[in-house]
Amino acid sequence: MNSLVTAQGVTKRFGDFRAVDDVSFEIEKGRILGLIGPNGAGKTTLLKAILGLTECEGQLSVLGLDPFKQRKALMQQICFIADVAVLPRWIKVFQLLDFVEATHPNFSRESAEGHLSKTKIKKESRVRELSKGMVAQLHLSIIMAIDARLLVLDEPTLGLDIIFRKEFYANLLSDYFDEERTILVTTHQVEEIENILTDIMFINDGSILLNAPMDAVSETWVELATSGDNAAKARGYEPIFETDMFGKTIFMFENVDRSKLEGLGDTRSPSVADLFVAKIKQAQAEEQVA
Amino acid sequence: MIAHQLALLKREFWEHRSIWITPVAVAIVMVLVVTAIIIAVAVIGQTHHPEVERLADATLPEEYRRAGFAVFLLVFSTVFIAAMWFVVIFYSLDSLYAERRDRSILFWRSLPITDSETVVSKLLTAVLAIPIATMAVIMVSHLVWLILLSIWLGIEGANPFRFVWGAVPLFETWAALFILLLAIPIWFAPLLGWFLFISAWAKRGPLLRAALPIAILPILAYIVFRTWDLAFAILERLSFVALPIYNISDFAERVDDDNLVKILAEAGGNPTAVLDLGKFFTSIEVWAGMVICGLFVTAAIYVRRFKDDS
Repeated sequence: MNSLVTAQGVTKRFGDFRAVDDVSFEIEKGRILGLIGPNGAGKTTLLKAILGLTECEGQLSVLGLDPFKQRKALMQQICFIADVAVLPRWIKVFQLLDFVEATHPNFSRESAEGHLSKTKIKKESRVRELSKGMVAQLHLSIIMAIDARLLVLDEPTLGLDIIFRKEFYANLLSDYFDEERTILVTTHQVEEIENILTDIMFINDGSILLNAPMDAVSETWVELATSGDNAAKARGYEPIFETDMFGKTIFMFENVDRSKLEGLGDTRSPSVADLFVAKIKQAQAEEQVA
Repeated sequence: MIAHQLALLKREFWEHRSIWITPVAVAIVMVLVVTAIIIAVAVIGQTHHPEVERLADATLPEEYRRAGFAVFLLVFSTVFIAAMWFVVIFYSLDSLYAERRDRSILFWRSLPITDSETVVSKLLTAVLAIPIATMAVIMVSHLVWLILLSIWLGIEGANPFRFVWGAVPLFETWAALFILLLAIPIWFAPLLGWFLFISAWAKRGPLLRAALPIAILPILAYIVFRTWDLAFAILERLSFVALPIYNISDFAERVDDDNLVKILAEAGGNPTAVLDLGKFFTSIEVWAGMVICGLFVTAAIYVRRFKDDS
């Protein structure tokens, strides 16, 4: 079985509000899945359910375990960074290494110290003395030294400058990821990571809008920039979304033969960010019609 | 499991440095106080020092000399006990609150440690680690005081090896103090459990939220039942004199210093002789307190596991 995570009808309610609403999906091993959604879409709630931090309805299995009931066993095989700067500010770097070494059976101190030696972080420093970027480096050094099958990253680079963000993902790819490991990541800076993703999942109002491998994006969706009569013709192919930009109309098509569109203007494969906006707007338009 | 607990206890010492800074600070103050008293007595008394003569009086019955030393050490150690009491209160209120306030709970919960293990480590810190840390500092302080006393007696021409080191029931006093230090948090357990629960539950201001019911409930009980019994029951838990561990009747009434010397002298100058562990562990009040503590700690575990406000 290649599925690391299987969700069937997963729902999380807060009173009458459904933060996650009847969601079903699978995540296979060796993938890097980007979970993308606007603020309040239910991303973090879904991640918390996967991590066993919150109880939910429906069937959820992570590495064959019930994440909420078997959280301790699960945490031996998965790692997560929930937001930047959640490392305790009072702790010294060596104390952090001591603690993780004593409590995590799959942690390699040697490996963590190897990662740290490439940074300017001193072992005697307290977390509060480090810059935000260094705290993220420290956390990543620890996470990468844990032999885990699933890594969950919830906005791991929020508020960091571009250099740190690029380095963070570069390190993750070069020093951590392989075909046995799976990464689940949420971020608002999706354009920075779309080239490392193998799969994307869009979530809005607690529901999944799209769940597809990245290869399928260029096959399924086409963006067309055109104007005038061609724009009118393009509408005949039922775009899922259109917007005006710099005097041109930009259309998004789903499952429309690219060769039919190529004569009408400039076509290209959409970026994840553009596709995300198109799917959100499409969902909102459908909601209004309904 | 034990390795996890040791790592978790270590974490508490790293995170809550007041656990050891407080007794060390008290120790420094108390060494200064003892030094000041010795200097004051030496200077004021000039060449004639009744205290020294009493200590170094060869005719004084040995059990009174032993009891005198034990009382000196015990009475001066009450400052440490009071400090420990504050440390336990503020520690227990902060222990499960601080990690939520700085959101580091998200990091701690990313490790393969159960909520029960974490909450139990907080309880163990309060009932075991804090008394042990306090005891270690008390022992060092006692040695320093006795060395200061020896220097003084030596200067006065008395033999400190006979009249200090040969007389002081050091190990018995330490044993008695250690028993008391361990018994106090157990006696305090219902309030300790309540504080841990509030620490896990309160969104802000755990001190106020913990204190308000303790202040209001006895008043309500008085309005309804016309009795202050609940207030006294709570106050008793805050007092180490009220511990059901002394095998002397009317201990609370007889506890002033002079009588304590007499009481201890009657027990051969051995302070452990006035303590009765059997009485303590067969006390219904002690067990009822532990059960209440257990209920609150279970509630704290439940709250840490199910309440998601990170």
